[in-house]
Amino acid sequence: MSLPGIPVAIRRRYGPVARIVTIACGVIIAASAYLPWAYGSDALDNVTYVGGPSFIQFIALGMGLVLPALVVCSIRWPAGFGRTRVGWIRGARALATGLLIIFVVIAGAISVQLGGTININYGAWVGLAAALIGFVATRFLVQEGAPTVNRLKTPGWLSILAIAVVMLVMLFVAYYALDQSNPGTFVTFIVYTGVGVAVLLRTGALGWLTAATGAHRRVMLLAAFLVAFLFPFTQGGSDANMSIAAQVLVFAATAMGLNIVVGLAGLLDLGYIAFLGSGAFVAAMLSGTAMATFDVHPPFIVTMLLSGCVAATLGLVIGSPTLRVSGDYLAIITLAFGEIFRLSMNNLDGSDGPDLTHGSRGISDTGDLNLFGFDFGATHTIAGIEIGRFANYYFILLIWLAIVILIFSRLNNSRIGRGWVAIREDEKAAEAMGVNVFGLKLLAFASGAFLAGVAGSIKAHVDISVTPDSYVFLQSSFLLAAVVLGGMGTVLGVLIGATLLQLMPEKLRFVNEYRLMFFGLLLVVMMRFRPEGIIASERRQLEFHDEDEELAERLDDNLGPSTGAVAVEGASR
Amino acid sequence: MIVLQAMVDGLSLGALYALIAVGYTVVYGIIQLINFAHGEVFMVGAFGSMTVWLLVPGQQLGLWMLPIMLIGGMVASVAIALLMERVAYRPLRNSPRLAPLITAIGVSVFLQEFVRLFYGRIPGFPDAKANVTFPTIEGVTGTAIKLGGLDIDRPTIFTLAALIVCTVFLYLFVNKSRIGRAMQATSQDPDTARLMGINVDRIIMIAFAVGAVLAAIAGTAQGMMNTNINFKMGFIAGLKAFSAAVLGGIGNIWGALVGGLVIGVLESLATQVMPHGSAWKDVWAFVVLILILVFRPQGLLGARVVDRA
Amino acid sequence: MTQTATTDAGTPTELEPLLSARQVTMRFGGLVAVDKVDFDVYPGEIMGLIGPNGAGKTTFFNCLTGLYKPTSGRVVFNGALLPPKPGRVVRAGVARTFQNIRLFANMTALENVMVARYCRTSSGPLTSIVRGPKYRREERETEDRATELLDFVGLPEVAGNLARNLSYGDQRRLEIARALATDPKLLLLDEPTAGMNPQETRQAEELIFKIKDRGLAVITIEHDMRFIFNLCDRVLCLVQGRPLVLGTPDQVQSDPRVIEAYIGTGAQEADGQVGRDA
Repeated sequence: MSLPGIPVAIRRRYGPVARIVTIACGVIIAASAYLPWAYGSDALDNVTYVGGPSFIQFIALGMGLVLPALVVCSIRWPAGFGRTRVGWIRGARALATGLLIIFVVIAGAISVQLGGTININYGAWVGLAAALIGFVATRFLVQEGAPTVNRLKTPGWLSILAIAVVMLVMLFVAYYALDQSNPGTFVTFIVYTGVGVAVLLRTGALGWLTAATGAHRRVMLLAAFLVAFLFPFTQGGSDANMSIAAQVLVFAATAMGLNIVVGLAGLLDLGYIAFLGSGAFVAAMLSGTAMATFDVHPPFIVTMLLSGCVAATLGLVIGSPTLRVSGDYLAIITLAFGEIFRLSMNNLDGSDGPDLTHGSRGISDTGDLNLFGFDFGATHTIAGIEIGRFANYYFILLIWLAIVILIFSRLNNSRIGRGWVAIREDEKAAEAMGVNVFGLKLLAFASGAFLAGVAGSIKAHVDISVTPDSYVFLQSSFLLAAVVLGGMGTVLGVLIGATLLQLMPEKLRFVNEYRLMFFGLLLVVMMRFRPEGIIASERRQLEFHDEDEELAERLDDNLGPSTGAVAVEGASR
Repeated sequence: MIVLQAMVDGLSLGALYALIAVGYTVVYGIIQLINFAHGEVFMVGAFGSMTVWLLVPGQQLGLWMLPIMLIGGMVASVAIALLMERVAYRPLRNSPRLAPLITAIGVSVFLQEFVRLFYGRIPGFPDAKANVTFPTIEGVTGTAIKLGGLDIDRPTIFTLAALIVCTVFLYLFVNKSRIGRAMQATSQDPDTARLMGINVDRIIMIAFAVGAVLAAIAGTAQGMMNTNINFKMGFIAGLKAFSAAVLGGIGNIWGALVGGLVIGVLESLATQVMPHGSAWKDVWAFVVLILILVFRPQGLLGARVVDRA
Repeated sequence: MTQTATTDAGTPTELEPLLSARQVTMRFGGLVAVDKVDFDVYPGEIMGLIGPNGAGKTTFFNCLTGLYKPTSGRVVFNGALLPPKPGRVVRAGVARTFQNIRLFANMTALENVMVARYCRTSSGPLTSIVRGPKYRREERETEDRATELLDFVGLPEVAGNLARNLSYGDQRRLEIARALATDPKLLLLDEPTAGMNPQETRQAEELIFKIKDRGLAVITIEHDMRFIFNLCDRVLCLVQGRPLVLGTPDQVQSDPRVIEAYIGTGAQEADGQVGRDA
């Protein structure tokens, strides 16, 4: 967000004026919520009323009021509280930028949904103008130094309270976002969320939250799991939403496995989808339905492990060239393996090879799971709330995702994780220091593949059918994008990346046609401007911004007090 | 006889791969970047010459159309290649190798989708979401020429001729021209080349452009060979051409040419000689690619640059 | 000529040599970088390796540590043949530092040392995931050992700093700490004082004596002659890959051939005949 800076002298001179203008703009934006934004009721969540703000408008109202509040605070407590520096103006600038983006998005959504800018009513124009002026005005304000709120001592009860609030907000965000059938509202809401997080980050509040919740990691993780567990109960038996949620979980669990390979070991795998696919095919072949290849009925636990092992074996095969090859060449090799997998699955149809997969038609019925008498295909009623088929799968996937995250973060923060970092940093030196480079690379491939294989065995049942064309290169690049865009080597980042990448196309049916094109564009833009991803692991950030000495110094501060080795990375973020 | 026929078919396929492979190898030789999106440059080249043919009124099929179409393809592919270099790759020149590779995937997906979605929207143009029928230019398409029991397809003749002409031009360009020598110098040591007053940015752009010109010829040839083109054609062809470039020793232009021919002949033999060859031919191609990368990454003729990828 | 030098070098002959190189030769195409070097190191000894630039000192080091496989000749360490694999050499008990510092720049000092404990620890993926008492004990030991080594080399207060942010001298010490963490019996130092000021050099000297006191043998490449002659028990001078003189510092210092080699090489270097000393 560093636009070309305005000279300090000019900022000093116009600073006071800019403050007043910013405050005014915030108030105007808030007031614009009471004005009609559109002429038609189909845009967003009906923003046509005078004096009756819709939910989307209410958020704008709230954000509008925060802007003057931040500026006032910066006048009242310019140095923060005591020795704690707060990023008031940093936050205000982020918020103003965010509001501008929001109003552009809103104007865009209205014109797309109603057909032309003519449908934008004066309220939205007022808001947009105010946001633009506010954006310019905040450029004239002088920013504080980096906030130090994260060093604040927090009493235990406050941390727990913070965790509870964060979790409730997350539950609400997930619930609300999934609930939107109107793409305009969905996009606007996502942008709101992003802006909110950005403001928290810039003021330093996010740093405080991280520090406060980090002190109670277990509580935090438990709470997060609980919230995710409760999520289906907010859906009132809506199978459509739960189907999306289940797909998100499959995708996230797979991406997390890839995160071991790419994020931890630093090996680029462009054929990762083959592992998910092999797991799914193994599970489908052994599913015991009329379509299954083999007439055997092993218990699902056995199938699951077998799927994982088959995938892991493939992983070892694909990983074995790492003994001689690395970097770009390795990436191409993995890509070639992925293609070989797809072509083979297509060819094993009985005419060009043994009939294992029924060729391109795939195995079209895998049946539903039945574990310990619990039928995943049926609807169950718990506490008066219907839990449908996809919700059943959601639960098992959630447990699996939790296991994957546990494996990921424990591997990361161990002797093995240290070895991986060392290999990424300097392979030759790592070898000369006795790190088993080849073994660790193979381990990354095999463990990543195993996790994907197991996920595939569940996916086979969620999807009912398994066909080769669900496991193509494009899917591999989606997974890779989830890891890279979210933030390689982090848990939270990859979860966010996977969720966004899977949720966006589901909710944005109107751009479905252009979805891949935007995806390509997104990759290019992201690599250009933020290659370390949305949530950057600090070490990765340094790897991408090698010359940034200031960043390195800052990380010294952050890494310094940690007694555990690689604790800062990944899990704790 | 089958083997001999397979060899002939393989040569034409190989010439195609060779033409594309040069693009990978020239760029790699200078900035050690695998331009993963080069397959899409090839695809754009094919659509470029298709476009020119559509723009000339009256659905002309005379041989005189061919050079015009080729120039059209070249303009399109060179424009795309330069744009890609400038916008996507140049800003990443000093980042870790992961970044340009992911960017390349992005560019590749973007270009495929762009052509798929928008080509058909131009009035009078065919929808590019499915195969687009390529014009059958007289003389270079049509019935095969019989030569002592062998069928020699007409596009084969064109492709091979194009390869020979391009080889001669490339030789003259690289060894005799000022720019060619500057390219060699840059590939040896970019920093020193810069100190010697060579505009390295320009050399890199020229490398992209040279690759794109050949890719456009290949794209047109592919169109005539298969009688149709589509937005996905760059992916597999690009990968095979990349194998060819590595087989010949990436960074080595002559290696790319030889590698292309070898890969083409191998593929053709695999298709016609192996059981169920046509279903598994791409699998064999990828197996060969993997074997080359693992066991002979320096290629047949030796890479100019040691693989430190 | 090597043979004569070996006999009158005051070595504790009753001991078995810790490392003995026999006729070690390394060729790169036509260039012979190391030519039939015979060489013994005894436990607890500090050995100096000197020679003009391009004499093959680092190449010889690389042969000893498994980075290169010698074209011919063999290296016996502790009674067994040294395998040409860096990882297994470290396991056997030979650790090294690099001429151009190769720390894991984006890891903290402590982590750098902890990584080097890799080959002396054994928790595998499953133990790392389950985290039983054995795992936790091993992790704790790793960290304690790393902390102790940072203390030993005099860097206790920078444990949490990124390696890239350390001063040059500190980075050199950290490299030594990292090498020591592999529990070596023999430590190879490649120009440990390059780029150091006199005070830092003196500290490095003290550190190497301390390492010797721990019972380790040390081989060090160095251009600083005062450093070498203060420190070493014996010195080997390599010229163009060939051993020229081996003896006590006094013997080497006064040998006219050494002086001639140092003065006479300037011209050859300009010819570009040497230079494989990466």
